[in-house]
Order: sequence, then structure tokens, then C-alpha cells
Amino acid sequence: MEIFKDLSEITIHFSSTMGIPIVNEDGLKQGRLYDYFIDYEEIYPSVLAIQFKRNGVLFYIQWEDIISFSFKKIIVKNEAFPRRSRTFPKTLRLKTVTSILANQFAGSTVEYPPLGQIILDKQIVDTHGKKVVRVNDIQFIRAGKDLRVTHAEIGLRSFVRRLSLERPVDFLVKGIRPQAKYLSSESTINWKYVHAIPNRNIQKSVRLNLSNEDLQDLHPADLADILEDLDSHGREMIFSNLDPELAAETLSEIDDEELQVSLLKNEDPEKVAEIIENMDTDDAADLLNELDDDKADAIISNIDDIETQEEIQELLEHDEDSAGGLMTSEVLELSEEMTKAEVLELIQQKHEEVASFYEMFVIDDKRSLIGTLSLQELITKREDVRVKEIMNYSDIKSLEVTTHWKEVADYMNKYNLVAVPIVSAENELLGMVSVDDVLDRLLT
Amino acid sequence: MKTEIKKKILSPFWMKLTLFLSIVGPGLVTANLDNDAGGIATYSMAGAQTGYRLMWVLIPVTIALIMFQEMSARMGIVSGKGLADLIREKFGLKVTFYSLFFLLFADIGNTMAEFAGLASAGEIFGITRYISVPICATLVWLLVLKSDYKRVERVFILGCSVFFTYIISGFIINPNWTEVATAIVKPDFQSITSKDLPIMVGLLGTSITPWMQFYIQSAVVEKGISPKHLWHSKVDVIAGCTLMLIVTFFIVICCAATIYPSGVVVNDAKDAAIALEPLAGKYSSILFGVGLFNASFFAAAILPLAGSYYICQGMGWESGVDKSFKEAPHFFTVFTTMITIGGAMTLIPGIDLFKILLYSQILNGLLIPIVVLFIINLCNDPDVMGEYTNSPAQNFFSYILVALMFLLNIPTLYFSFK
Repeated sequence: MEIFKDLSEITIHFSSTMGIPIVNEDGLKQGRLYDYFIDYEEIYPSVLAIQFKRNGVLFYIQWEDIISFSFKKIIVKNEAFPRRSRTFPKTLRLKTVTSILANQFAGSTVEYPPLGQIILDKQIVDTHGKKVVRVNDIQFIRAGKDLRVTHAEIGLRSFVRRLSLERPVDFLVKGIRPQAKYLSSESTINWKYVHAIPNRNIQKSVRLNLSNEDLQDLHPADLADILEDLDSHGREMIFSNLDPELAAETLSEIDDEELQVSLLKNEDPEKVAEIIENMDTDDAADLLNELDDDKADAIISNIDDIETQEEIQELLEHDEDSAGGLMTSEVLELSEEMTKAEVLELIQQKHEEVASFYEMFVIDDKRSLIGTLSLQELITKREDVRVKEIMNYSDIKSLEVTTHWKEVADYMNKYNLVAVPIVSAENELLGMVSVDDVLDRLLT
Repeated sequence: MKTEIKKKILSPFWMKLTLFLSIVGPGLVTANLDNDAGGIATYSMAGAQTGYRLMWVLIPVTIALIMFQEMSARMGIVSGKGLADLIREKFGLKVTFYSLFFLLFADIGNTMAEFAGLASAGEIFGITRYISVPICATLVWLLVLKSDYKRVERVFILGCSVFFTYIISGFIINPNWTEVATAIVKPDFQSITSKDLPIMVGLLGTSITPWMQFYIQSAVVEKGISPKHLWHSKVDVIAGCTLMLIVTFFIVICCAATIYPSGVVVNDAKDAAIALEPLAGKYSSILFGVGLFNASFFAAAILPLAGSYYICQGMGWESGVDKSFKEAPHFFTVFTTMITIGGAMTLIPGIDLFKILLYSQILNGLLIPIVVLFIINLCNDPDVMGEYTNSPAQNFFSYILVALMFLLNIPTLYFSFK
């Protein structure tokens, strides 16, 4: 028997199926349709079971046990056995399950939450449009014997439908403007791009196989915008699942300092330390400055790389508004005797650690700043040239660590500097301030 | 080495500052907002017309306020979501839409009350409302949308301390304290007449407003407090509400001691300012005017802002003052509409401001039990609250308070429409 023989529509809306009576072959009423369980592993998930409510208790019936599905009624087999549960046990097929998950559920089954409970009326991330939206309705399509989820609906039309005002509003709009865009277009998000954010408690009791891959591909700036738009629960949910490198980049893109702090506040110090290690030391120091002293200390002590740890600690000691608070200590340090080849090799080794290498600084064995060298200068010279032959040593533009940042900005502007070396009172090289650090301050 | 020493000197100062800022939490801000134009007017009126007689009402009102605000704050901390979000997620679009629709009406009424307060404050200084209201409306609009509002907020909170002068004034007046205490502890229920009902509803309606429940929850969510610090927010709420209660008590006491015996009917802000005369003498009306202006302006900015936020959140529309009109058209439309209508209504010649105030407060009074029912329901949902659901005692007392509110609303409705 054909399951959809009494159904003329191809696309079906979640909201218009709610409350359809469920009966068995003898016409005995089982309950009313309440929600769906779908196969979250599929790209366009098929319905695995339907959930219904009887006397306030939730049951589900497998999709295979349904004989006929229409808007009037859903007929199920007489021998179908409704199981009492709020979730649906699902055996996993795909290999994307992490080892932690597999251990937790030895039988490799997970409990699926119903579709409506995690999608309908909830905030989701539209990974294609790169924004946060609230879902008004869900679109299904009938495909063979299956019902498959294809879109999340977010537009005005689905809004009006949920208010049960579709017909009168359609009638009105038709009367006023028959060609209105409202009547023909539905704003939807393809299911491929729907990234759900389950409730904290669903997350705890049942595991959803939601891969985070779709988010890892987003640009950190877009991700930052998304985090700013989400509620704090969703923010934490997404942020704590990012790998440290992406988390660090995303954090640097967030303008709001309070938001940055609140994202780190509830993470454990080890994770934060990992994120901090992936940031530029000056950004990291700024951020640590905003945290409580205890928390900041715990994070710093968890940083594995001793060098980074020391650098950040040094930066933290400087006044936030001075050159010391602004600078990064990750600079390319050269010695006079190095050859061009050696410098280039050093760049290759260190380019990931240093913030920028367009401006390099030459120091003697007491770490005193004795010259500067630009990348441009270096690469235009012959191969066997030594640093001391081409470096600028007569007119070194450097500033002391206690200089106020506004003076730093004026100074850089006056001499058109991309980066300025920062030295101690004894002319020891401590770090550099680059133009983007100053620009950040100027613009806020 | 020098820098290290510097850091050590700075450190205690920063510690103190962070401590201070964490104490001035959402609960205290919300409590300060409670003494807005409508609040000042109602408390003054209560004191001027009924003396100390109805002061006891403030005790159960404050207890209810603490209970409801604690629930909202807890919900915000545990779920990380705003009240409108949670209502939408649990009860669906239809319920949310109609609830928010009525709440918007009440909010416009409340915004209007704030502009009426601004108008009164202006009139104390001899500025006609046809000048003060449009200017203030424009200022509010610009302030919220075009500047860093968060910083300005602190100034307003400081400005609210003007009302602490009521406490000083109260001690200067030195009323018969035993009389005051008896009125609070041993209320005379026999003396309540149907004329007292609107004042009682007013006391309830200005203290516990629907929009404030939304506001405190959002404020808590924004702070990103973790459930570990739940106690912290409880202290914040209790401290805020108690402070509000003390200020309110003294407003009533001052008005009861200075205006009630003379039998003057309080018609406008000038009359209410008499209560500050023992402290400020002939400058009392200036002091009162400044306080009223600050409170009204503060609330006139925050109320439409909070309103637009929760409406957009519930409806799933983009919101945020840092967005462009193109990005968040609904948000700016709602905000602008609330300020425009709220401001313009006060300017209609011959309009009975008091009647509209009363109706908006009645609408508030009708909506608050419904909002509280939402809150109780959500606070009992383990899907939302996890292990932090309401205790049976909390539920029991909340339901009793809701029932009392309904009981108080029904006769008030009857008498005000009769």
C-alpha cells in the first residue's frame, strides 16, 4: 500500500502536521502527532519515527509501522507497538563518532531528541548566510516512502502560518497586490546549512551527532559576528567546540571586550591557555588584563610554552596605556654578523611566532638595539651581504617602554612607520608596536 | 623592576573597583529603575492621600518582587537565555506573539508615563511640555542609538541617588516612628475602602512590572554569570529590592507627614515636592524636579530599549543598537515607534494624562500575573533549569502571590470601569 496516497502535496510544513490524529487499522485512536524523530546523520534526514502524546505522556511509533500518512489522519499497523519515551534510541552508522562518545555509549547507540524540540522556535546558525536566525517552521518533502527534512523556514510567510493566519493574510494580499513577492516566495535555509544548538540539558542527557565541520570552515570574522548575535548559552556551546587555533582567531575578531571575557570565563584554564598561546602575545595580555587576577594566574601557569608564558607575564607588568602594554614581544631579532641567507632562514623558521617581519631589529650581545632592517631592504640586496652592511644604524626610530600610546601613534604617524621598536631605559630591545595595534586603539 | 612595583600598587585599587562593579549588579540597577516617574507619583500619592495606612502593602509587594526577580535572574544564569527567548522556545510562536503584542501596548503606556514625568519635571522649572518632551524624546533616541549607552547608564544610576534625600528628609521631619511601625506591622484591614484599591494596585503595578522581569533576565544573561555564583545574584536581587523598599518607605513617610495632614490633593509634581521641604526648604522643588527628571529620562531610555530587545528576540528578528537600520529594521522601528507614540501622546491637548497612566498601570497589573505564570512554568522545567528548578516552597508561595494579584485585579477592574 502506498503511504502517501491520500496526500496530494509534495512539500509539507512541520506546523501544519501538528495534531493530526493517529489511529490504527481498526480506527482506534492512539493519540495526536506531536513531533518527529529524524536521522540526524543524513544530509536530508528521513523521518525515523513519529512522536505522539496520549494523556500527557509521550510515545513514539517507528515510521515503518505507518500505513498511511495524510493531513486527515495517520494510520498505523495494529501490531505496531508504541514505545514510551521522550527520546529515540538510534544505532550509529557513520564513523564520525568520536572515541569519547563511543565509550560513553558502549552499544554505539545514542538517544536522539525530537526534531521540533531542537529546531522549531530555536536559534540556529545559518552557515551559508553566516548569521543567526530563529526557525519558524520546518519543511519536509515526500520522497518515495520516506518523509525527508529539506529546509528550515524563517520568513514572513512561515511566521504568518504559525499564527494560523495564512489564509486570511493570503486573501488580503491577493486582493491588494496579486503579484506580491510574499505569495510566491518562502525564505528558507537549506538543511545542509542548518547548524543546531541543542539545549544545555539535551546536550547532557542525549548526544547529538552534530559535527562541527560546517563551522570550522567559516571565516573567524563571520564566526565572531555569529557569536555576538547568539544568546550566551549558544555562544558557549559553539565556542567551546572550536579548536584552539580557530578560537584564538575568532576571539581576536570580537570587538566587545566584555564578550571576550565572558567567553573565556567559564572555560577551564587549560583550554584557555591553549587558546591564548595561539593569539598574538599583545592581544593575549590585553585579554588577561581584563580577567580576575586568580583566573589570569591560573591560565598563565597552564601555558606550556615557557617562552610565551614569560613574554605574556612581562607584557602584563606594563601599564595598559603605555607602549609596553601595546607592544608584542614576538619580534625578529638579528645580529650584525648574519648573512642574508641566514636571515631568510630565520624568517622561515620563526614566521609563525612573530607578529610581522617587515621590520627587523638588530641587537648586540647585551640585547641593546643597534640597528633596524626592513624586509624590502634585505631582499633587494645581493645574496652574500651581511646585516651590518645594509642595516640602518645612524637614525634609529625607537621609543621607550613607558611612552603613552598616543605619543606612540603620533610618532609613527610623523615618521610613517609600520612598526616601531620598543626599548628599555637602557636601550634593551623589549618588543615592537605595529601600526595595527595603534589603529585598534585609535578607532575605539 | 620598577614596573612590577607599579602593578602592585595599582592592584588593590583595581580589586576594589571590580568588587564595586560586581556589586552594582543587575538587581540594583533594576531596583533603581523601579523608582521611575510612575513610581514616584504613586508613592507620593499613596502617602499624601492615605498617610501611613497602606504602607504595609509594600512589604508583600517587595517579597513578591524579590521572589519573581530571583526566579528571572536564576533562569538567566542557568539557561543563558532571555525570558522572551525561553517563552518562544517553550510555548511556540503563537503564544509569544500575542503575549508580546499586549506587552508592547503596556510598554508604550509606560513609556508615556515616563514622558509625562519629564513634562512635569520640566514644568517645575517653567519649561512647557511642548518644548521639553520633543527635545527629550530626540535626546533619548540619539543617546541610545548613536552613543555608547552603557557608559551613560552609570551616570543615571548615580543620579538616582537624589532620592536618598527622602531618607534624610524623613529623619529631619522625625515623624511618630511608633505610628509608622504600627502601620507597617499591624495593618488595619477594616479601614480599606474601594477608593484604596487603585492605589494598592498602583503600588503593586509600579513595583512589579512585566518589562522589568525581561530586563533583569537580559541583564543577568549579558553579564554571563556562571551558576556557581547563583548566591551572588540572590544577594544582588535582595539588596536591590530592600534598598528600593527603604527609599519607597521614606517617600511615603515624607508625603504622609507633610502633605496628608494638610489635606492637599496632589495634582502635579509641585505639590509632591513639598515632601522635601524640611530638608531643602525653598529649593525642595528644584531637588524634586532634578530627581524626577533623572528618573524619567533614565526609564524613558531603558524601557523602549528593553522592550524592543525582547520583542525582537521573541519574534526572531535581528536586534542590537550597533546594527544598521538595514540589518535590524524591526528593532529600530519598534524602538522609534515606542518613543514617538509615548512622547506624542503626552502632547495631545486636553488629554487626561492621569487616566492613560491609570489604564497603562491596569494593563500592567493584568499582564504581570500572566508573565509570572510563564516564569513559574519555565522555572519548573528541567529542560530549561536542569538541577536549578523551583523548590516546592517557592512554587507554593509564588502561586499564592499570583492568586493574590488576580484577586486584587478583579475588583480594581470592576471599580475603574464602573
